[in-house]
Amino acid sequence: MSIVNHFPVLAVVVLLLFAYLMPLLMRWRKEWCVPATLGAIGFSLIASLYMMWQVMTTGPFMYQMGSWAPPWGIEFSIDYLAVFATMTITIVGLIVIYYGTQDLLHELKEQVMGWYYTLYLLLMASMIGMVLTNDLFNMFVFVEICAIASCGIISIKESRECIEAAFKYLVLSAVGSGCLLLAIAMIYMVTGHLNFTYVAQALPQVMDLYPLNILVSLALFLVGLGVKAALFPLHVWLPDAHSSAPSPSSAVLSGLVIKVYAIAMIKLLYKVYPPELLGMAPIMNMILWMATLAIIIGSMFAIVQDDIKKMLAYSSIAQIGYVFLGVGLMSESALQGGILHIFNHAIMKSMLFLSAGAIIYATGTRKLSDLKGIGITLPVPTIAFSLGAFAMVGIPITNGFISKWYLALGSLDVGRPFFAAVILVSSLLNGIYYLPIVVNAFFGEPEGAVAEPRPLPRQMVVSLILLGSGVILFGVFPSLILGVVSKAAQSLLGLL
Amino acid sequence: MTMIDILLRLHQNSYYFFAIILFIIGFHTMLSHNNLIKKVIGMNIMDTSIFLFFVAIGYVNGGRAPILEPGVPYTAYVNPLPSALILTGIVVAVSVTAYALSLIVKLYKHYGTIDAEEIMRIRGGDIQ
Amino acid sequence: MEDIIVRYVTRIILPFVQLYGLYVVLHGHLSPGGGFSGGAIIGASMILYALAFNLSAGSKKLSHDVSSALESGGALLFAGMGIFAILLGTNFLGNKVAGIPIGTPGNLFSSGAIMIITFGVGVKVASTMITLFYSLIEGEDHSHDHD
Repeated sequence: MSIVNHFPVLAVVVLLLFAYLMPLLMRWRKEWCVPATLGAIGFSLIASLYMMWQVMTTGPFMYQMGSWAPPWGIEFSIDYLAVFATMTITIVGLIVIYYGTQDLLHELKEQVMGWYYTLYLLLMASMIGMVLTNDLFNMFVFVEICAIASCGIISIKESRECIEAAFKYLVLSAVGSGCLLLAIAMIYMVTGHLNFTYVAQALPQVMDLYPLNILVSLALFLVGLGVKAALFPLHVWLPDAHSSAPSPSSAVLSGLVIKVYAIAMIKLLYKVYPPELLGMAPIMNMILWMATLAIIIGSMFAIVQDDIKKMLAYSSIAQIGYVFLGVGLMSESALQGGILHIFNHAIMKSMLFLSAGAIIYATGTRKLSDLKGIGITLPVPTIAFSLGAFAMVGIPITNGFISKWYLALGSLDVGRPFFAAVILVSSLLNGIYYLPIVVNAFFGEPEGAVAEPRPLPRQMVVSLILLGSGVILFGVFPSLILGVVSKAAQSLLGLL
Repeated sequence: MTMIDILLRLHQNSYYFFAIILFIIGFHTMLSHNNLIKKVIGMNIMDTSIFLFFVAIGYVNGGRAPILEPGVPYTAYVNPLPSALILTGIVVAVSVTAYALSLIVKLYKHYGTIDAEEIMRIRGGDIQ
Repeated sequence: MEDIIVRYVTRIILPFVQLYGLYVVLHGHLSPGGGFSGGAIIGASMILYALAFNLSAGSKKLSHDVSSALESGGALLFAGMGIFAILLGTNFLGNKVAGIPIGTPGNLFSSGAIMIITFGVGVKVASTMITLFYSLIEGEDHSHDHD
């Protein structure tokens, strides 16, 4: 057996291993911290690309811990959705931390830098674990690690806003975790299993006996994961948390962390719960309406913000709505659009946060109204920001257009043109708050700190260029990623 | 269904009932109290209620600990899986509690109070 | 704290507490308990020591640096055992299938990798308890310096 057979577990364990090595390195070999972090995430990227190739050529497979067969052991399920998500997490995670190696130097105290890398690696490991796992309780453990690590990378910057935002986030996600654990208990008591596959087999049999238990567990999952994914009425922690954190943390929190909970929800709704259950209660309709409200209200809140990162944070609430819109519509194209939007939004939102971070780094201002003429003095971040803004609005040749197109097609497929209209309206709203910034940035007169910015380090520029070319690349050649996305959607809907 | 029936069912599933009561007490403490430490205690009560519920569903009447010993005849045993899971849950709860308390220490350092409303008031003054 | 009763009682019970903690850790694969419970007992004993005498006496016995190094070490031992099984040619955390000697069930040295992993967890939990305690106390001290 060669090492490539163990890539599913190594993608997680190597990150964990380096996370725990980091405090030791920090003490004795400080200069190795950055290469070790980049190397560990790079290894996971290679592992996830290899897994993707494996899944696309030979189909999904399982990995059993300790060679214990499923009902007893924990297993990882490497299917289309999982490899897609793993690839998204590792690519964006690697670029963000490469940027962060420079940006963090001015945002954090020097002695906590090593701890930041520890937390970041833990966060990556837990996210990858969450999308790969095929076991309910294992998922809960990864959810908890993810919650603590993501609060940690906010509160590590010891300003009072960060601490308060992290505390709010921690308390609310503790409520969410409580709901998740209760839901797992409800499922376990009626099925006697924790493995997704076995639960899915047992649920239709026990559904007539204990319909209430199963419905309650579904509701608790929806609330638990909804709080963590910032689905509309449960989003209150997000704007503070994502806007006060250091820029790389905001990028990874907005770009990736809220999405993995959405992926967990997709796995539960489509792979675990039987379709007949969805007829007993209007779960999908509820998700749809919450998503619609998220899209409209998130955008409206974003319009009135003057803080650049707060605006981006509110825009994330709207964008997570698109993902759940794709989940709730239950049609193939819509689900493809929703899953594709996870990837596209991960790229564009992390790019927007990183370019905002670069602007803050160079000029020291966070106010949108101060950014007049910044396009002339700071071309790279401003062009990246504009590209991200275009992608958010959904202008063709950017990747945002593709996912919105699929979502709109999906809503027309199931005969609900209302949701296509919602997407159109929200694109207009996005235009209202993104485009004036772009126009101001290029056609204003630079003044104050904006006129003479600090030069940007190479790492920041390279990361922004990489993400920016990603936006264009996947906008012009969507088929690069659409292959795995459509396979994922088909296998979730049982069409494969 | 008569009153007796309901009471009988409640008696049979009393762990359900008490776990939910504890859960609500914890949840209420968490949401309604302004003192941040009390919020954390509420969080712990909530977690404990779920742990009790989870352990209770694995209990078998008259069962003993699932340890095989030579010479002891096989008897009914308690399902060990929920207990093992809850041990993990307790570890998680401990770490969340420790983290929350350390955040409260930092908050106290910055604001000089652990009252949520007071902190909101100070922050509100900050912005204007 | 300068309480002579607390100090004397601590001095008397401390070895027994630590021995009991070690016993629970090492018998994790044979009896209820294991890495977490035993580690918590050992960690609590160190916290008791630091509380009864004072913080500097506690950190003389086990400094913050050493406890956080042990914390990493325990976790690395766990992950290392998992990867060791991969090197032996089975899946992650493989035990008997990987050819690790299992021993006679019921003996102290049995269950192969499980015992080593339990020991790693015990070290990790004990040092985490102590590190958490030190971190919280030191954070407090810091705030007094500022005032």
